[in-house]
Amino acid sequence: MNLKKFLRILVIENNEIDCKILKGMLSESSVGTFQLDFTDSLHKAFEYLQKHNFDVVLLDLNLPDCKGLETLKRVNDEFPDIAIVINTGAYEDDLGLKAVSHGAQDYLIKGKYTSYALSKALYYAVERKRVEEELKSAYTRLKEAQSQLIQIEKMNVIGGLASGVAHEVKNPLATILYGIEYLTQKIQTEDEKIGLTLKTMKESAQKANNIVKDLLDFAHSSKLDRKPENLNDIIEKSLQLTKVLLDKHRVQAIKQFGVIPSISVDANRIEQVIVDLILNAAYVMPEGGALVFRTLTRKLTKNYNDVIFYIDKKFSVGDSIVLVEIEDTGPGIPAEIKDKIFDPFFTTRRASGGVGLGLSVAKNIIQSHGGEIMLENRKEGGARVKICLKV
Amino acid sequence: MTKRKILIIDDEPHFTRMVKFNLEETGEYEVAVENEASHGVEAAMDYNPDVILLDVIMPGMEGPDVIFQLKNTESVKHIPVIFLTATVTKDEVEANHGTIAGYSFLAKPTSLTELIDCIERKTQPQY
Repeated sequence: MNLKKFLRILVIENNEIDCKILKGMLSESSVGTFQLDFTDSLHKAFEYLQKHNFDVVLLDLNLPDCKGLETLKRVNDEFPDIAIVINTGAYEDDLGLKAVSHGAQDYLIKGKYTSYALSKALYYAVERKRVEEELKSAYTRLKEAQSQLIQIEKMNVIGGLASGVAHEVKNPLATILYGIEYLTQKIQTEDEKIGLTLKTMKESAQKANNIVKDLLDFAHSSKLDRKPENLNDIIEKSLQLTKVLLDKHRVQAIKQFGVIPSISVDANRIEQVIVDLILNAAYVMPEGGALVFRTLTRKLTKNYNDVIFYIDKKFSVGDSIVLVEIEDTGPGIPAEIKDKIFDPFFTTRRASGGVGLGLSVAKNIIQSHGGEIMLENRKEGGARVKICLKV
Repeated sequence: MTKRKILIIDDEPHFTRMVKFNLEETGEYEVAVENEASHGVEAAMDYNPDVILLDVIMPGMEGPDVIFQLKNTESVKHIPVIFLTATVTKDEVEANHGTIAGYSFLAKPTSLTELIDCIERKTQPQY
């Protein structure tokens, strides 16, 4: 808190003697410097507050046009950003508590404080209000992120189910359709009903195939707000967001950023993925370690190392990609969980409240960008995550 | 003209049986079936087919692993491979003009005509 800061105070007080006392106390204060404005009713106070900026309101609860806690409530409702210190003659223990719970930052009893205590109270009130606002805004952001996450999780679960169902259903459908083709060729008969039966079966199987296709389209349709972004910036921001945690775990972030082109991504979603990967890395390195972030751009080749990018995906030989590699110095991925690590609801942290959606959501986000995410163990120990996105 | 030899590596016996029946019915092809992906390379070496039809998702060993082994086995590395799989959609294949990473892809279910066209393209003499 900066006690050198100049505080602008609006005193809402209709007792002239009390006003003089306040003026005297604050002008001789050794704690800080104050600019005081006085007003003697609530409606005049509102006019003042609308026209001028104040840091804090010093509020009497016994005004000609409003009395009691209602006064506080009206100021707080009308001007929710300003700090409020109650300055009242009414000494009741539970009134003070009520005032604080209704949004006052402090509750002072007239005649019971010194100049020093008053000055401190005013500065503390401004600081409390600032922290409270920060918390409120963090809470709002958290709620927004949570609702987005729930939405993505839902889509992810549907997507996972749809892909699984699609694969399982398409195989027997292909068999049925080939069976019908075979019978159509082999059965040469005058009976129209047999021909019609085969035709009906074929059309029905094709209809089932279209339903599977619709389901897949629906599952992959989560909306992205894509803009040209540089992944280095997104990683930088993710590191800022997780700095406290990394410092706490004594994990050193090492940036090996390459010069990479901007690509069209939803920055918030990608940031969500990077943050999640950082959290995972910090978790597997409780004794500290290093976390390397490497970015580069290159063209995909027909080399077998790159074949993994092509199966089931949208990449082709010659595609320019941006590759993000994140390497930790943790224990690596145990062989027995390697196949399950991206599955929804799979977690090694159930006991500590892990839900098991982080990586499956990450995969969903990267795939919805037409990209791919892979996990592997490094020869030197530790794990490596690769995120590949098309330029 | 001798019949072209097709090897199909896919873990679904019902599907492979129907492919075999249909292709052989044309009179142009002789079809061998391998339902165990891990025996895929061995089957290719024994049968020496003109084209291999390969599934992607199979238990134990997946299509990309099979192709990796095929391409690293001198006697079979030249055999053209067509991925015949439900893991890609028709739209994805069409968007890539039928190939992904230089490999031909067909999305299950694909019509017999499309399958035969693709096999024919693969067995044309290369100039």
